[in-house]
Amino acid sequence: MTDENAWVLQAQQGNDDAFTQLVEAYQKPVYNLCYRMLGEPETAEDAAQETFLRAYQNLHRYDSSRSFGTWILSIAAHYCIDRLRKKKFSVFSMDAEDEDGTPFEVADPASPDPEAESVKKEDRNRLHLLLKDLDATDRAAVIMRYWYDYSEVEIAQSLKLTVSAVKSRLHRSRKALAGMWQEEKSRAHPERRSRESLAF
Amino acid sequence: MNHLPFEEWLLNNSRITPEQQRDLDLHLRACAYCSALAETGKVLSTAKMATPAPGFTMRFQARLAERKIAERRRKLWGAALFTLGGLVLLMWMVGPYLASFIASPATWISVVVGWLVFIGTTLFALVDAGAVILSIVPKFLPPFAWLVLFSTFAGVGLLWSVSIWRFAQRGAPQGV
Repeated sequence: MTDENAWVLQAQQGNDDAFTQLVEAYQKPVYNLCYRMLGEPETAEDAAQETFLRAYQNLHRYDSSRSFGTWILSIAAHYCIDRLRKKKFSVFSMDAEDEDGTPFEVADPASPDPEAESVKKEDRNRLHLLLKDLDATDRAAVIMRYWYDYSEVEIAQSLKLTVSAVKSRLHRSRKALAGMWQEEKSRAHPERRSRESLAF
Repeated sequence: MNHLPFEEWLLNNSRITPEQQRDLDLHLRACAYCSALAETGKVLSTAKMATPAPGFTMRFQARLAERKIAERRRKLWGAALFTLGGLVLLMWMVGPYLASFIASPATWISVVVGWLVFIGTTLFALVDAGAVILSIVPKFLPPFAWLVLFSTFAGVGLLWSVSIWRFAQRGAPQGV
């Protein structure tokens, strides 16, 4: 039996310390999912905490034949989707922190290629902001696919969708992101865009 | 501009031959949309995990403790309100009878005894009637009818159990 299974079993028997071990192990993936879904560190923290509380309250329903990680991420995704649907709109702050907890647009000067690093970071921030324009379920599917390497079957199980629905949602989202990305770029560099058009 | 098959390759992250890669590169240079698709795919594939602020677990423990206290308090209040409500309802229903009982207890005692006697004799009569029916009916009903009767009862019982189970399943929160 793995440590994780042992913690789950002990937690199901009412051992709070064992559940704390699970929180320790899964805080990062759960927080990341909430952050990518909701866009702000404060709301993500709140959603991640709520996810663990829901998992704690429903631990007796957990089916040990499934992975605990998939189960808890599924709770987090559903919670965030519900929250976004209730809110109907989400406010993404440009003052938000990036994935390393550092402010936006700060490149590491010690990096071998700080400029390339800065561009990469900028691209990641831009994509993070574009995610907000996707439908809540599409956003969850994209996050599970690209941040957690989930297969289409795993995403379907987590989001209670069919595999074909997941496939079409992923394609639709990728196309939408590409469209928005293209628009952003042409807004940022209009002269380059017009030159490109002339070339065709 | 025709994006096929390049769009499919990019969306499915397909394995492509060097020749196809060359065609794709040529298309990407000409097509801004597919180029954006390729760029977003690249950024997504290098996506990084966000980390919570230090002390997440401790904050969770504090929140859990708070939630437990709130839950206990809510249960206590619920029980107190339920008991109080029950008492008020009981007093409201029993009040008039209690007043008349206190005014003339002898009348009430005779009424209660009369009711008890009535219930007792009715029960005895029902038991006797039941015994007579049970001794007569089996002679009139063929074994096949008994089989149908018991199968119907079993079927209804099974349907009831399945319905309860399905309702219980539906009650689970999403994602759990």
